[in-house]
Amino acid sequence: MTMAHGGYKKQWLLRMSHEKQDTLLKLMILTIAAILSFSTRLFSVLRFESVIHEFDPYFNYRTTRFLTEEGFYNFHNWFDDRAWYPLGRIIGGTIYPGLMVTSAVIYHFMHFVNLTIDIRNVCVFLAPLFSSLTTLVTYLFTKELMDVGAGLVAAAMISIVPGYISRSVAGSYDNEGIAIFCMLLTYAMWIRSVKTGSVFWSVICALSYFYMVSSWGGYVFLINLIPLHVLVLMLTGRFSHRVYVAYSTVYCLGTILSMQISFVGFQPVQSSEHMAALGVFGLCQIHVFVDYVRSKLTHDQFTILFRSLILLAGTLGLSVFGIATALGKISPWTGRFYSLLDPSYAKNNIPIIASVSEHQPTTWSSFYFDLQLLVFLFPAGLYFCFKKLTDANIFIIMYGVTSIYFAGVMVRLMLVLAPVMCILSGIAVSATLTTFMKNLDVSRREKKSKRRDTNYPIKNEVATGVVIMMTLFLLTYTFHCTWVTSEAYSSPSIVLAARASDGGRIIFDDFREAYYWLRHNTPEDSKVMSWWDYGYQITAMANRTILVDNNTWNNTHISRVGQAMASTEDKAYEIMRELDVNYVLVIFGGLAGYSSDDINKFLWMVRIGGSTDRGQHIKEHDYYTPQGEFKIDKDGSQVLLNCLMYKMCYYRFGSVYTEAGKPTGYDRVRNTEIGNKDFELDVLEEAYTTEHWLVRIYKVKDLENRGI
Amino acid sequence: MERLCLELLALSILLACCFGASPESVNGDLVIKKVENTIDLTTHLPKISSSIILENEGKAGVRSFLFAVDPTLSDTLSYIGAVAKSGDDDHKLKVTAAKVANNPKGKFFLIDLPSLLDQGKESTIDVETVYSHSLRPYPAEITQSEKQFVQFTGNSHFYSPYRIVSTTTTVNCASSNIESYTKNKPISTQDNSITYGAYENLQPFSQMVLPAAASDVYYRDEIGNISTSNLRELDDMVEVELRPRFPLFGGWKTHYTVGYNVPSYQYLYNSGDEYILRMRFVDHVYDDQVIDHAKVKIILPEGARNIQFKSPFPVQRDQDQLHFTYLDTIGRPVIIASKSDLVEQHIQDFELRYTFPKYMLLQEPLLVVGAFYLLFVMIIIYVRLDFSITRDEAREARLRIAGLVEQIQTIHDCRSALYQSYDDAINKFKNSKDATSFTSNRKKIDADYKQMTQQIAGLASKLKAENSDAAEKVTELQKLDAAVKDQVTMEVQCVERLIAGKMKKDQYVEMESNLKSKKEDLYQKMEALLSSL
Repeated sequence: MTMAHGGYKKQWLLRMSHEKQDTLLKLMILTIAAILSFSTRLFSVLRFESVIHEFDPYFNYRTTRFLTEEGFYNFHNWFDDRAWYPLGRIIGGTIYPGLMVTSAVIYHFMHFVNLTIDIRNVCVFLAPLFSSLTTLVTYLFTKELMDVGAGLVAAAMISIVPGYISRSVAGSYDNEGIAIFCMLLTYAMWIRSVKTGSVFWSVICALSYFYMVSSWGGYVFLINLIPLHVLVLMLTGRFSHRVYVAYSTVYCLGTILSMQISFVGFQPVQSSEHMAALGVFGLCQIHVFVDYVRSKLTHDQFTILFRSLILLAGTLGLSVFGIATALGKISPWTGRFYSLLDPSYAKNNIPIIASVSEHQPTTWSSFYFDLQLLVFLFPAGLYFCFKKLTDANIFIIMYGVTSIYFAGVMVRLMLVLAPVMCILSGIAVSATLTTFMKNLDVSRREKKSKRRDTNYPIKNEVATGVVIMMTLFLLTYTFHCTWVTSEAYSSPSIVLAARASDGGRIIFDDFREAYYWLRHNTPEDSKVMSWWDYGYQITAMANRTILVDNNTWNNTHISRVGQAMASTEDKAYEIMRELDVNYVLVIFGGLAGYSSDDINKFLWMVRIGGSTDRGQHIKEHDYYTPQGEFKIDKDGSQVLLNCLMYKMCYYRFGSVYTEAGKPTGYDRVRNTEIGNKDFELDVLEEAYTTEHWLVRIYKVKDLENRGI
Repeated sequence: MERLCLELLALSILLACCFGASPESVNGDLVIKKVENTIDLTTHLPKISSSIILENEGKAGVRSFLFAVDPTLSDTLSYIGAVAKSGDDDHKLKVTAAKVANNPKGKFFLIDLPSLLDQGKESTIDVETVYSHSLRPYPAEITQSEKQFVQFTGNSHFYSPYRIVSTTTTVNCASSNIESYTKNKPISTQDNSITYGAYENLQPFSQMVLPAAASDVYYRDEIGNISTSNLRELDDMVEVELRPRFPLFGGWKTHYTVGYNVPSYQYLYNSGDEYILRMRFVDHVYDDQVIDHAKVKIILPEGARNIQFKSPFPVQRDQDQLHFTYLDTIGRPVIIASKSDLVEQHIQDFELRYTFPKYMLLQEPLLVVGAFYLLFVMIIIYVRLDFSITRDEAREARLRIAGLVEQIQTIHDCRSALYQSYDDAINKFKNSKDATSFTSNRKKIDADYKQMTQQIAGLASKLKAENSDAAEKVTELQKLDAAVKDQVTMEVQCVERLIAGKMKKDQYVEMESNLKSKKEDLYQKMEALLSSL
């Protein structure tokens, strides 16, 4: 009796009403997922410090600081004379301000309630914070698509998926960090408005679309996917008034709102990327009109009218499109978009796009590396969606199929693929488990075993097997994700770490050393020339004027810098005088063994340098050996061995021992002894070289006095 | 003429107002018998120690004398201190700035003598002065590979308003690499004396010693943590190795922030609500440090009042401010004191008194508690009250049913506790064999049981009115409960027969276990039914 009574109290959880249990479980799972997604992104902060990573985030950080210090209007009208000397850059009109405004709002709110947090910390922790929110939004989205169970699994999966973590670790303060949240929010709201056909939800969807537009250029994907969804609904005969209300509201309101972002401007009504949305909007009106007419006419009358109308509308539409394109009202497709449709387009035509590593096509291994289990669950999820086709499911199918294509074209778009992978996998896992968990009879096992189902002999055993297998899969997924996050995506790249032979940690902090030296020991107005990769970091950390940066908006200017790097000293001196350069900065990894240095990037400089009219004398094949190899040793091409970049990297290097048993001037990245060891610089003088020689800074000498 | 006189008068009044104190006059009776000047140029802080033997040739006793700082150096003076030598004891003397009417060049200080100096008596005073920025790089700009020389301009004699009998001046320098020096004869050079030497700039890195309790040390700048630093914790101190991001050559500069926490018990004393903070105004950063400008900000806890600041040397007090940070409402008072030109000798304690009521310690926790309380109240209000404009009948009914079910569950919990009471009563009866108390006990439990069963029945009828499936389950529950009650009644009868001797012991035991297992089965069924409600 007492036993039974004790048991009574232990079962309080079961005694709660189902609704309460449900809420409690949901809350717990979502809370844990949100906390996990925040904390798994903190590896780099714990290992290094709360510091901004990579390149682009430094620009965002700098602009955010400007916004918090100077206010929104000054930010909006900001003309930056620190970059793209002598052209400058209108920052207010050439960025998506969503990220900066978000941080500034958080910062000001915190300070309003006397939480004196530093703006740098707001920036560093913004991406993890938004990934927590993304977890919640994924739940909402998947719940709309399928059911609560799938939503919970998808939320748990997205919290640790490496494909998304790669862009949202603490310190990676980039547009994508909040854009994924905005994207999924817009999708969730879109599905809800399609399901309800309510203007309210459509307006919310338009507002979240506006937030998305304000934060990332990838909104173009969104404004093409939603019309595509509507189009497919029309083709499959699922078009209804609900869809009509939703799309009309979202398109009109969303377009008007998106045009308020000055960087977007009139693009939504002019550029070809946005035309699909406009076309579908028109089609919607026609569809509804036709439906209305059909309801009023007999069948024969309607057929005649329909044919003539189609003919008329088709010719009219095509001619308007043609005229507008000819008059230049509709801008041609931009290069980045072409390269989405045709992977080889960029490589053949625009070297500056091809040179960026994240614009390369994705390899198979990186799909597995970034998504692991999800790759295999994705088709299963698609299957479950097709099995029970609804308006909402069609959307996720469209999203899945298009994004997997885009992710295959460009590594960077793995980010767009990761959420849909999680959602579909969530659906797959949840559907599988719900099916088999029902067959699992834990409570009355003994009784069941006596009268077995003859159609399905080992029902319980199969179910147990499936559940155990799924658990194992999910466990390996968790371990894989954590391992990838810790090993691959948590290094700030501004500070490098290596293991010493005694097991201790060596920190290479050369970048900041050099930037800080520039900041304090060069004149305020000096102009620094470097390859465009380091532009954002130099303006943010060294506070000096630079010629080109990661914005890469002016190809000829970057080409000019490439020409200077690829030319001989006296030719380069002319270019440097022309551009008022005071200091030149190069990244050299030959001593420390840092492989992404300027020598390895040099061929891109040559290609980009030779891609414009003024650089036609620079030809790529001059820099190769007769055998067509890129070599820096004695066999290397003489043009290479005497160009400015080579000389700046290897100045004085010829007399340095780098590795035991190797001659002097042994390059540890390219594993060769350099070819041109003993030379002096005529137009430059060495100003500063960092501890591990990672960064070398040269001062451009003034013109010589006359008569000497 | 009259007007000019008036203007002069006005001017002198003005002057008097400016100086505040009346100008000192020079006592012609004092004579300096011997001065030994040592100019120490081994560091970047020239240090002049003057050992002065003073004699009073007048009739009246003398209490103080004037010490003059050479006009070429007076602008760079950062510290002055004087001690009187009598035997082995050093007696620290009071030094105050003074104005001398007829001798406007240079700076003057009035030094109080340890005792009244009578006629013909002598006294030995050591005066130490430290100057910052008096070494001039010469030439001012060099290229990175050249050596930096510095120039020092001083007085080879002793600058004083009194008559001096004999002076010797020794100049010590850091290295023997001398470019040139003034040849005022007589002169002798040997080793490092009378030499002007090369002087490399600041040392490339330095060590800073922090108190042993120092924790959370940070060393950073505008762009992040400076990873070239190291921290060593020793028994009696914490040693921080501060290395700038890059080595400092002549003319290069850097900028950084160092900070650490120390527990307050070492520096903060209190009696009741009165507190005293005693800390160094500036701390030791590195040997031979010179601080051009130091600003000390002290942030006191919220609610601190009656703040009094006492510094060991004159400092400039800025306007007090308020600082707002985590959980602040009225702001924390900030005391700001600043001083220029500080050297090692300025490492002295300041004292800050304030009143801080102890109950203010509770303010912040209470604030947090209040905030959470409000939050929960809001959530409770939101969840409990219906804010919708339309009435959702189905939802209402569901909520009502949920409420009824919960009530039934609670009552059933109590009822099942009564089964336990029956068991206890029976056991007690078996041991004591007290029939009357058993009967009264049983009656009491019976009454409770009846009441509860009736309550449940009432609720079940309400459930039925809601047209819910749960009503059937409750009916089922009631049936099961009735079965349990039957078992209990049987048990009671058995035990009464056992006590009355109408039943054998082994028969009873068998019966009892039989009944028990039946009851157990019924309990489980009820439990399953309840959790499915």
